[in-house]
Order: sequence, then structure tokens, then C-alpha cells
Amino acid sequence: MSLTSPMALEAALGAVLLLVFVGALLARGEDRRGLAWLATAGVLAVGVLSMLARPAGPALGGMFVQDGLAIFAKRLFLAATFIGLLASLSLPDRVFARRAGEYHLLILGSLLGMMVLASARDLILLFLAFELMSIPLYILAGFLKRDAGAVEASLKFFLVGSVSSAVMAYGLSFVYGAARTTDLAKIAAVARAGDPLLTLGLVAALVGIAFKIAAFPFHMWVPDTYEAASTPFVAWLSVAPKAAGFIVLFRVYFEGAGDRAGTWVPIAAFLATVTMVAGNLMALPQQNTKRLLAYSGIAQIGYMLVGVSAASASGTAMVLFYLVAYVFGNMGAFLVVEALARSEGSEATTAFRGLAQRSPLLALAMLLFLLSLGGIPFVAGFWAKLYVFWAATERGLYWLVLLGAILTVVALFYYLLVAKRMYIEPPERTGRVPISATLALSVALCALGVVILGLYPKAVVMAALRVASPLF
Amino acid sequence: MIPFPVLSIITWAPFVGAVLIMFLARHSPLAVRLIALLTTSISTVLSVFIFVAYDREAAGFQFYEKVALVPPLGISYEIAVDGMSLLMVLLTSIIIFAGVFASWTVKERSQEFYALLLALVTGVYGVFVSLDLFVFFLFYELAVLPMYLLIGIWGSSGEVRPRGIFGWAFRETGVGTKEYAAMKLTLYLLFGSAFILVGIFALYVSAGTGSFSFLELEGASFDARTQFWVFLAFYVGFGILAGIWPLHTWSPDGHASAPTAVSMLHAGVLMKLGAYGVVRVGMGLLPDAAVELAWLVGGIACINVVYGALSAMAQTDLKYVIAYSSVSHMGLVMLGAATLTEAGLNGSVFQMFAHGVMTGLFFALVGLVYEKAHSRAIFTMGGFGRVMPGIATAFTIGGLSSLGLPATSGFVAEILTFMGAWRSAHPWWLVPAVAGTFLTAVYVLRVTKQIFWGPPSPHFEHLEDARGPEWLALVLLTGVIVIFGLMPAIAIGPVGTATVPILTRMVKP
Repeated sequence: MSLTSPMALEAALGAVLLLVFVGALLARGEDRRGLAWLATAGVLAVGVLSMLARPAGPALGGMFVQDGLAIFAKRLFLAATFIGLLASLSLPDRVFARRAGEYHLLILGSLLGMMVLASARDLILLFLAFELMSIPLYILAGFLKRDAGAVEASLKFFLVGSVSSAVMAYGLSFVYGAARTTDLAKIAAVARAGDPLLTLGLVAALVGIAFKIAAFPFHMWVPDTYEAASTPFVAWLSVAPKAAGFIVLFRVYFEGAGDRAGTWVPIAAFLATVTMVAGNLMALPQQNTKRLLAYSGIAQIGYMLVGVSAASASGTAMVLFYLVAYVFGNMGAFLVVEALARSEGSEATTAFRGLAQRSPLLALAMLLFLLSLGGIPFVAGFWAKLYVFWAATERGLYWLVLLGAILTVVALFYYLLVAKRMYIEPPERTGRVPISATLALSVALCALGVVILGLYPKAVVMAALRVASPLF
Repeated sequence: MIPFPVLSIITWAPFVGAVLIMFLARHSPLAVRLIALLTTSISTVLSVFIFVAYDREAAGFQFYEKVALVPPLGISYEIAVDGMSLLMVLLTSIIIFAGVFASWTVKERSQEFYALLLALVTGVYGVFVSLDLFVFFLFYELAVLPMYLLIGIWGSSGEVRPRGIFGWAFRETGVGTKEYAAMKLTLYLLFGSAFILVGIFALYVSAGTGSFSFLELEGASFDARTQFWVFLAFYVGFGILAGIWPLHTWSPDGHASAPTAVSMLHAGVLMKLGAYGVVRVGMGLLPDAAVELAWLVGGIACINVVYGALSAMAQTDLKYVIAYSSVSHMGLVMLGAATLTEAGLNGSVFQMFAHGVMTGLFFALVGLVYEKAHSRAIFTMGGFGRVMPGIATAFTIGGLSSLGLPATSGFVAEILTFMGAWRSAHPWWLVPAVAGTFLTAVYVLRVTKQIFWGPPSPHFEHLEDARGPEWLALVLLTGVIVIFGLMPAIAIGPVGTATVPILTRMVKP
């Protein structure tokens, strides 16, 4: 299979997956971290390969497309997965050394689901990929199976997730009933505006996607799952599947809707409003940094939905840019929490006390991530917020933009509380926070991403605009 | 020939200083101060230079520089000064130059302190000189954010604790502590910036010229409804920074808790930034709405003047007195602008300058007094005039300017504002304005008498007067007050060239 083949990336990832699988069969002994290195190197290799990927014609009879959007999304997934795997190389819990094979097979499997999902232009393939992405996540959430909290979180995640998948499948069957085809390109052409069956089906399908991206009121699983699961995995879980959810949203509701994309404006604007309000307000009282980031992540999804509400090429592009900024900012913040949790044994915000005087660079990195999430100039998140607001303004959604802008102030309150702990409060202990080299490297990668995108967002914005415009 | 980028150097010199301090002067407090002094001196000298070199005959925007940043979106780094921003740049330079001396004694983490302070100053210069609204907004954020750390780390918590039924609630929320003040100030100002951002976007979209340039937006015309709402957004957004009632409460808390140089800069310059924004962006781009909403701007300004002065009278903490007097004087600034007359608008801009210098002087003095007497509570102090005559003299000159005594810059600003109010569509504004000045006289004289001219207390026999670099700050600031009081024309001249075009664009009803 040559590089220009539309499925080259998936094939390469499949090869890495098989390699890890065979390795897991052959491995002996308690410490199987070699497999972790193998998987990480494999993802890096596929990531490098993805830089060479170019749009190609459809495959599998039009079910699978390798267009600009798909390639953009795949690079994003691969980058997020690489950072996540790099950070989990040094997980202290012994179970990760002993069961490295399973852990990485599950992550790679889920990643494969995301990559196929980004290319799926057929409802059946889309649903299959969606489940391939989701099911490993349920297992991974409960990976620490001796920990009652992790099992509870995993079960919650699984139950809510499978119900919403069922609703989604049910909705997609209505769409098929209305359009008599599962090909999204044909649905766009065939379906008439205002067909109640089609609308009902698409609204039901939206439930499944809203669950995956954790929009309010489908967010309940997020804080508990995040709190209980291992942090590097959570860092990845908080960005990659959400990005995949947004790609589906674009495929089904914009590309599959043809020139009726505008009909989704009120629904998306409503979801954006409740998600932003709920996420920001619920984040306020949190004392556990992971829960804080979980709720703030919900709020971030609300901001991305503001971009979706624009229902335009620029809005879609700005959400893509937002996702890139979010990958670096959010993963970085989680990874700093992980570094502190390893040394202080606490995930509470109080663990951050006086960090600026103990490890100035780590504190600075965390400050950059928080400012990026808060949308402050000269870091990536600022441009992300600005661009989605911009797109919504062009739609005339001034009220939504004003609401979003005001809610960023609420968000800054809780982000600044963490900054206050780091910079203003005195440290409880002295001495540098120890941090393993691989974790430090992943934090540095995120910090670099946040700063570079903050100073020079143009390249990524232009690329996002290029890949988003064919959808409309 | 490439023109000498004088404005860029003024704007970015402090920022370069901040970077140098962060990287080079790690362990040398003296080097930190020298770098800060050097870079702010560069800005100050060049600000004086442009103030002198500005062509008053030609007027308009001068020292123009433009570099396209994001051409497809119409964002460019476009900077210039006109008569109004010229004076504001000069004000910023004076205050920061004095501020570097005033904070010479900061001991704890002085490297980070100076770096943040200098970054903040770049933001302030940037706001005053930028003509591109988007870049304007970026600088605005840069001017607001370092404040959180500056107050949170180096600030001081208030001594005067509320009692009674509010005592419990205040303790719970931490009212009066520096952390509370820092958070309140930052959130209020960012809340304001949310409105500004929406306003800027609305202008950009409805102008349809695909440019954020002030000059191009000035040429576009907006319909009445857009003007009304966008003006309101700008008024609320910038007004929060200018301390308009009832959104002013961040200002006393913030200014009282901030370290000396930050109070000077914030009360002296940053609040002016809000008023400048209302006049430049609000009135300059939305003339019809400015006329339509003048009653609101002026009415609230009247409340500010009287309410601020009454609040200042009720304070027992010296720093809070000065902080509330800023609220009152910012009311005069907004009132002058709302009169929409030439005299009023000139008075408003001149008041920004006069009050900036005066309040900078006050905060510098309060800082010195606190450092020596370790107290801010007015009624525990007394008779300082004998032990620190220099500080007492400077405080008295500042106080006299505050209550508008002739031969000080405060007088010129107030008389122009009063003339403007009398000629405006709402002559009754004169009543609260004059009442405010009267109340100012009451609290300023009361404080001066109590602290400096009362009977000497044996407790404070050993206190010393200002020393070394501190003198420089005091002489500079009092000198400016007197010079601009005696020769207001050197400032009013260029200001007039900037305000008249704004007024001529307004169609009088």
C-alpha cells in the first residue's frame, strides 16, 4: 500500500497495533515497559507519516474519504496520543508496567477508531468507528480494577455511554428511513428541508455526539471518570475523543446537511449556552484540580459549540483551531497535575501552593496552560476564543458572544485561584518538585504548542480554513 | 529613508527592559533597578521629545507607523499620536519614571516585580498610541493582567476592619485582603474587556471595510441602532476601568492594596485609559450615540463626583481616602467629556493629566509615610509636618491641586470642565460638580491637617523625611503640577487640536 493511498495511515497504525500485540504475546516478566516505548515510537512514526499524507480520492465505494478535514483531524489525534503516551511512560503504579500490553492496545484501538471516524462518510462506518473508539475508553477508565473509585467511574461511563450510543443508532436509523441511503453525500442531496423524520433522527443522533463531547446535560460522567482514572489517560481522554466528536458533528450536520446547515444554529447556540454556563458555574467550587479541569473542560466545549453555532466555514475552521489550542492547553494542565500528584500525593489545588518558588518553570508552564484555557492574549487559547467569537459575530449571534465573553471572566476566577496558589501563597515544603524526563518532555511539548500558537496562530488558522471550506 | 520609529521605541523599551531583567539580572537587585531606570528613561526622554516636536499647526495623527500583521483580516500594527494621546503618553512617562524611584525599596522578589511593572507599562503606552482597534485591545489586556500578580504578591492588606453585621460577610470573603483586591480588580476589568471585545467586533462586522483601523472605521457610518448598543458596550467596558458608579468598587480596594508604584500607575494612568477609551473609541467613532447618551454619561459622572467625595470623607485609612478621591475626580473627567463642548472636553483630557500626576504624587507620598510610620490609619498619625517637612509640602501642594486652587493644574482642569458644563445641554451638572469640589476641599484639608499640621506626637519624633531617589519623584511630580498650572496652554493647545474634530463630527440636536 503506497503513501498516497487513502487508508495508508490507518494501515500503518494497524501495523503498529499488531506489533504491540505480538510483543505482548512474547513478553515475559513483570516489567513490560518496552511495549510502552514501542507503542509510543509507533505513534510517533505514524504521526510523521501523517505529515506526508495528502488528500486522496474516496475509497470503499465512497464510504471512506481522505479529505483535508480528515487529515487535519488525524494529525491532531496522533499528536494528542503521542503526548499522552509519552506522559504515561513513567507512570509509577506497577500495574502499568505489568499490563503495558493491554493498556497500549486499548489506546491504539481507540485511536484507530478515531482515525476511521474522521474519514467516515457513511452512517454505518461512522457508527462502527464511533464504537471502536468508545469501547476501549470504558475499559481504560477502569484500568485500575482494584480501585473501587475507578470501577465505579468506568461503570458510570459505560452505562451512560452505551445508552447514548443506542439513542444515536436509533436516530441514525431514522435518518436512513428518511433518506433511504447511508451515504452522507447523498443524504445532503436527497433530503428535503423540514422532513420531520430526518430532523428527529438527527436530533437523536446529536445526543450520542453530545455525550461524547460532554456537552451539558450529557456531561455527568466527566468529573467522576476524570477523577478516578490515571491522569495521563485522562489528559488524552479529555481532548482526543472530544475532537473526534466534533469531526462527526461537522460531517453529519454540515456536510450531510448540504445548504441547510443553518437549521442547526438555534440548537447549537442553545447547547453552547447551557454548556458554557453550567461548566463554568460548576467549576467554581471545585477543590480537586482534576475535577476543576473536568468542569472547565465542559465549559471549553461550550465555547467550541459557539463556533459550531456559526454554522459556517469560518466557524468550523475556528473550532478546529480551538481544538488544537485545547489539546495543548488542557493536556498540559492535566500533566502538570500528574507531576504534582506524583511528588505531593495530592490532586487538590492546595498541592500547588508556592509552586512558583519551588519549581519556577513548572509553575510557569501551568500558568501558560491556565491562561490559554482562560483565553488571555499571547497564548493559544486567546486566538481560539477570539476566532470562535468572531465567527459567531458574523452569524449575528451578538448575545451569545457577549455571554461567552462574560463567562470567560467567571472562568478566569477559578483559573486565577490556581495561579494564586502557585504564585502568591507560600510553599508548604521546600525543594524542587521531582519530575521524570518523559513527563517533563510532554509538558514542554504542550507549553511549546501553547506559546507558538499564541504568537503565530496564522499557519494553523489558514490550514483550518482551507480544510473547512469544502464542507459548505 | 526609514523614519525613526520613535513611538515604537517609547512603547517597547519597557518591555525590552522586562525581558532583560528576567534573563540577565537574576541575582542582582541593583542591576534590576538600573535596567528599569534606563529603559523608562528612554521612554520618558522620547515622550518629552515628541511632546515638543509635535507639530501643533498640522495637528492630526503624527509619528505614524504601520506594519501589516494579518492582512486578510485587516489587522495591522498601526500607531500614531494626536494631541490627546500625546498628553497621555507624557503622563505615563512621568508616572512610571517616578514610580521606578518610588519602588526602589521593594525587597522581596524585586526582579519579578520590575519585570511585571515594565510589561504593564508597555501595555499602557500601547493603548494610548495604537490606532488599530484589535492591537489596542491586545495592549489593553497586557495592561490589565500583570496587575493580578503585582497586587497579589507585593500588595498590602488593609488594617481597617469592618465591624457589625458586615463584619462576618467581609471576613468570609476576605474583603480588605490583597488577594481579594487583586481578584476583584482583575475580574472587574476583564468583565469590562468582554464588552469592549464585543463592541470592537460589532464595529468591524457592521463597517464592512474589513479593517480594524481607527482611521478607516472613522470614515464608515453606522446606523443609529448599532451606534447605540456599541456605544453602550464601550461605555460599560471602558467605564469600568474609568471607575464609573456603580462599577467602581474594585478601584478603592485595588488601589489601597496595591504596592506604591502600582497604585501610582493604576490610579494615575490606567483609570485614564478607560476615560480615554470612551472619548477616543466611543465618542470618536460613534458620534450620534455619544450625543444621544450624553445624559447617561453625564448623569452617572455627577453621581461619581459626589459619591466618591462623600466616600472619601468617611474613610479612616489614608490610602482609601486617596483611592475614593480618584473615583470622584474620574467623575469630573467623565463629566467634562459628557458636556460635548470644546471647553468641557479639553477640561476632561486635561483633568486626566492633572489628576494622573496628582494622584501619582499622593500614592507616592502615602507609600513613603507608610514606610516610615508603618501606619495608614489617619487618626493614629499627627504632626508629621515637623519631622518630614518635604513630604508635608508635597502633600499640601497635591491637596491644593486636588481641590482646584489656582496656579495648580487641578484648577485649570476644573474651571474648563465647569465652563463646559454650563454651556452644555444640561447646565445643572454644574451643581454636583461644584459640590464635589467643595467636598474635596473638606476631606483633603481635614486629612492634611490631621496628619501633617496637627500637634506633634512623641511617637513619631524619630521619623525621617524623604531621602535620595525619593526626592526626585516628589520634585518631579510637584514640579509638573505647578508648571502645568501656570502654563496650561502648552498642554491645552495640542489637546484642542484633537478634541475639536471629535466634536465637529457630532450633529448637535
